[in-house]
Amino acid sequence: MENKKNMTTFFTQDVFYAIFLATLRMAVPLALVTLGATFSVLCGVSELGCEGMMIAGAFFGVLASYLSGSRWLGVFFAMLAGIVFAMVHGLMHVVYKVNHTISGMAVNLLASAFAPLLVKLVWNTNSITPTVDSFKTYEHTALKRIPGLSFLSEMNIFFFAVLALVCISWFYFFKTKRGFRMRSVGENPQAANTLGINVIGYKLAGVAICGALSGLGGASLSLGQLSQYVDGMTAGRGYIAMVINAFGHYRPLGSLLGALFFGFFDALQLVLQSSAIPSQFLMMLPYVVTLLIVSFGLKRIKQPAGVGKHHDN
Amino acid sequence: MRSSRFVPYGFAIPAKYGYSASALLLSLVCVAIIILFTGYSPLEIYQLIFIHTLNNKSRIFLALSQATPLIFTGMAFAIAYRVKIINLGGEGQLHIGGMAAAVIGAYVTGLGHVSHVFLSLAAGALAGAFVAFLIGIIKNKLGTSEVITSILFNSIIVYFTSFLCNGPLKPAGSATAQTKAVQATARLTKLVAKSQFTTAFIIAIGIAVLLYFLLNRTTLGYEMKAVGHNAVASQVQGINVSRVYLFTIMISGAIAGLCGAILVLGVNGRYVEDLSLNYGFAGLSVAALASYEPLATIVSAIVFGILKAGSFAVDRTTSIPVELVSVVQAFVVVFIAAPRMIDRLFDLVRSIFDLKKWRTKRI
Amino acid sequence: MSLVAMRNICKQFSQSIIALDGVDFSIDRGEVISLLGENGAGKTTLMKILFGMVKADQGEIFFNGEPVLIDKPLTAIRMGIYMVHQHFMLIPAMSVLENIIIGNESGTGPLLDLREARRTVVQLIREYNFDIDVDALVRNLSVGQCQRVELLKALYRRADILILDEPTAVLTPYEVTDLFRALEIFRREGKSIIIITHKLKETLHIADKISVLRNGTMVKHGIIPAETSAIELSSLMVGRSVNLDRRRPAKSIGDVCLTARNITVDHGNGNTLKDISLSVRKGEILGIAGVEGNGQSLLLKALVGLETGPGVNITVNGKKLRKSPKQFLNSGVGHIPEDRTIMGIIGEMSIKDNIILGYHRSRPFCKHGMRDEKEIDRYSRDAIEEFAIKADSGNMKAGALSGGNQQKVMLARTFSQPLHVLIVAQPTRGVDVGSVEYIHNQIIGLRDSGVAILLVSADLDEIYTLSDRISVIYEGEIVAECLPGELTKAQLGLLMTGNSLTPVETGRD
Repeated sequence: MENKKNMTTFFTQDVFYAIFLATLRMAVPLALVTLGATFSVLCGVSELGCEGMMIAGAFFGVLASYLSGSRWLGVFFAMLAGIVFAMVHGLMHVVYKVNHTISGMAVNLLASAFAPLLVKLVWNTNSITPTVDSFKTYEHTALKRIPGLSFLSEMNIFFFAVLALVCISWFYFFKTKRGFRMRSVGENPQAANTLGINVIGYKLAGVAICGALSGLGGASLSLGQLSQYVDGMTAGRGYIAMVINAFGHYRPLGSLLGALFFGFFDALQLVLQSSAIPSQFLMMLPYVVTLLIVSFGLKRIKQPAGVGKHHDN
Repeated sequence: MRSSRFVPYGFAIPAKYGYSASALLLSLVCVAIIILFTGYSPLEIYQLIFIHTLNNKSRIFLALSQATPLIFTGMAFAIAYRVKIINLGGEGQLHIGGMAAAVIGAYVTGLGHVSHVFLSLAAGALAGAFVAFLIGIIKNKLGTSEVITSILFNSIIVYFTSFLCNGPLKPAGSATAQTKAVQATARLTKLVAKSQFTTAFIIAIGIAVLLYFLLNRTTLGYEMKAVGHNAVASQVQGINVSRVYLFTIMISGAIAGLCGAILVLGVNGRYVEDLSLNYGFAGLSVAALASYEPLATIVSAIVFGILKAGSFAVDRTTSIPVELVSVVQAFVVVFIAAPRMIDRLFDLVRSIFDLKKWRTKRI
Repeated sequence: MSLVAMRNICKQFSQSIIALDGVDFSIDRGEVISLLGENGAGKTTLMKILFGMVKADQGEIFFNGEPVLIDKPLTAIRMGIYMVHQHFMLIPAMSVLENIIIGNESGTGPLLDLREARRTVVQLIREYNFDIDVDALVRNLSVGQCQRVELLKALYRRADILILDEPTAVLTPYEVTDLFRALEIFRREGKSIIIITHKLKETLHIADKISVLRNGTMVKHGIIPAETSAIELSSLMVGRSVNLDRRRPAKSIGDVCLTARNITVDHGNGNTLKDISLSVRKGEILGIAGVEGNGQSLLLKALVGLETGPGVNITVNGKKLRKSPKQFLNSGVGHIPEDRTIMGIIGEMSIKDNIILGYHRSRPFCKHGMRDEKEIDRYSRDAIEEFAIKADSGNMKAGALSGGNQQKVMLARTFSQPLHVLIVAQPTRGVDVGSVEYIHNQIIGLRDSGVAILLVSADLDEIYTLSDRISVIYEGEIVAECLPGELTKAQLGLLMTGNSLTPVETGRD
């Protein structure tokens, strides 16, 4: 990689392609967590615990892959871990009516405390685990030959999972009875309760799905982008997902588009590493953009009216 | 929550501290179960953490010096939470405060000890207050919740200070990322030789007393509590809620900034990247355990300080790492936040031991 | 044999709150029963038990003679019972159709397909002449239309027994007529209707039978409207005869004290004030009559400093006030807000802290920024005694007080201060009858001491009883002004709905 290119010669076609690929890659974990956040908000529960669920998924996915040697088991347990941590939030907030910010932060604190502890206990190392079996990119020669879509060969399974899950989520929320009921629970849990809908059941289900998707997002980091767990690898993506969620109007398709938008800035930071700008300012970039968007850009977007409310207020 | 539940030995402890104690106990029990999985005996480990730490003078002072930053971040979170502001930006405010104190402490010369320390501390407090001010303004004028903005500021600030101590402020020839050493006149005095226990502890206690005074004796404190309980009624009855929010979050940021300052001027003598062992978020647990009361945070922080100091010994002699304490802290937040869970557990316990009383109808 | 019978229903919410004590209730097919009672008498609790939202401690429910267990609303719905609550259970962001079908969606298997549901609902709308667009978003509907959506929810589920909780509380008299027309159709179809209300006149108009609850006991069940009167019913409701319309006109009215000139506020969400001007003199009470939601809340906000836009011009004793609630309070404008739990009382704080709220920054409570605890204690002790607040001490949490006592705390807070103007809203909402008289006496007493009082109330009787002048507000404008004797309540009702008085209109009293 050439160092310190002149800015005008920097943006060649190669660089644009690199940014395009990097955007897609960086968007994948973001999209997964944000989709999870969408489920949580649409069923009326705050999405604050997503960071913790992602950490849990990233770590336990690697642990499972290490113990079993199989990356598929890794993914499975990543999602399971996400669900378990999500249930902490679910139990505290939905059943015991705890303030959702506190219960969400409790999940985040638990996960960020457990992961380093278990890393030390299991591998006796400080913050980086050994590499494990993970998901590589497809490198399908067939895909490489399709004009315009050859980039697909550079994507791994998580990319395709995102596309599939976004479609499934959209279908669930707008074309099935269950999804419609979940949305009604998020809007007015009291009304839904009166009409016989199991509000607590739907909320816990929504939180569990949020956990599974966030855990999957974590796995896409530790079993997809890398092949190991690194302390702090989620880097606040769970929090950024909350903003992307609002940015995307709390819709599955919006989550995908929002993730691409933010992923772009993440990608920019990666690609510009070799330029003259100090790396820390580049790494700040996604957070600064998020801060600007959340401060100035989210005026008219309203959450479902029943977020944080219970069926028996 | 029921009131006046715990009445041991004839005098009533406010119920909220009863819940604190129960939450701590439950957390220790949960962690004990984890310890079992590692093959060690929880009783031995806890004995190592508590008894061993407390029967040696130097270890007691280690515990107190580990508690000191937690008093600050605990108070920072607690005072904000009293007006229902959730300031999760303690970590970032701490770092910027430490950086400010490091700069004033290293580059300003010709001052006497007291004034140099005072100035450096003030710089740290102001830096933290400034960041909190930004968070507060965004909340007041733009309506954006401080939860997410404070977390975002954490990342931005940490990258910024990292840039400074890896670049412009790094002393020539230094291998690690750090700033220039602080002048001797700005260092905090060690109160106990060969320890990390400095005047920072006294400063922490002083701030706690000031906060107690503010909340309970002044009209401003009355307004803060009113806003925390019911912001709408407060506004209708003439209290300027936005100003209360801004003032309180700035106090919170100042205290967190002070934490960074005392870390720089005390133990480290300069700003380093790993200045904070996650003190910012640990403050949440400390504050929650103390039921968000300033004086109680001293006790709460000391408890966690003992845990931390003890965990060093545990880490040395067993394979259990210091991260154990973070797990206890996380569990405390879980249990503190769900008093009803604790109520249910106690009912369960009582029902096991008190079957007769349980059977009669409770009317 | 009755269609539905409830026997010996008991419900206790806590050590001191007994909601229902051995209540019997029954209704036949095609009957309209009015369930009367004061606030807190237990009417809503009884019906919530019937609808499965609350579980009774004791008692049984019989359906067609068979004992049944109604443990959740779904069970009641399956039995044909449906309850329309006082505060609608609707989703503003969704359409009328979507709101109606939640839980009973059409479509094959798990898939959502609203075509069949749409056909059914459109048919129902046509059948009952409801005039609603199924695809309209609920947030764009009027209050009366929202109620119709709630009724459609019941009809869609083939309800035979309808429970309506205070259905006319938020309706204009015109919408009330529409509602009663629909209820007539229901009755002819053989549906049974239970109307929870505290409005005597409507009860006498529509019901077949009347049941009166008081303090958790069924005082009298199955009263025939023709055999009773409003006076008798209200005696049953409160337990002693009540003088309904005793007025005490003002003795000496002074100069103009409070003026509001050309108040115009527009927040763009339909809530507006259009060029309102009014004035109140010392020693008089101006009553603002109007159906809730016509701008009263905005007007109140403007009068106490919570609205400070350019279109707000308030003058008190010649001094322009435009800054903040604090300025208004310091200028002698007392304020009893319309919703005590949200705007008036801080439940978590002590009574004494609540009594000084709003005035806590001035002497004698505050000296150099520090609280003077002794003064505050003394002041609150005096206030508790003077206003007969039922509390053990000033340190008790205000949230533990009853509604009437909380209202008294607000009175104690405001009435002890030197006031030029008092802005008071819904002073007796949710307050027990004994306290109502007390509060009214206090307000009259304050008026007679020379304070200019502006009263906003949804209770037309209260406006009538207390006001020296009445203004009617409709859709953000003052549409009429009169003296209490000039117009009948029915005529006022017409004005409250934006109709004008023509010779053709006959007052329905």
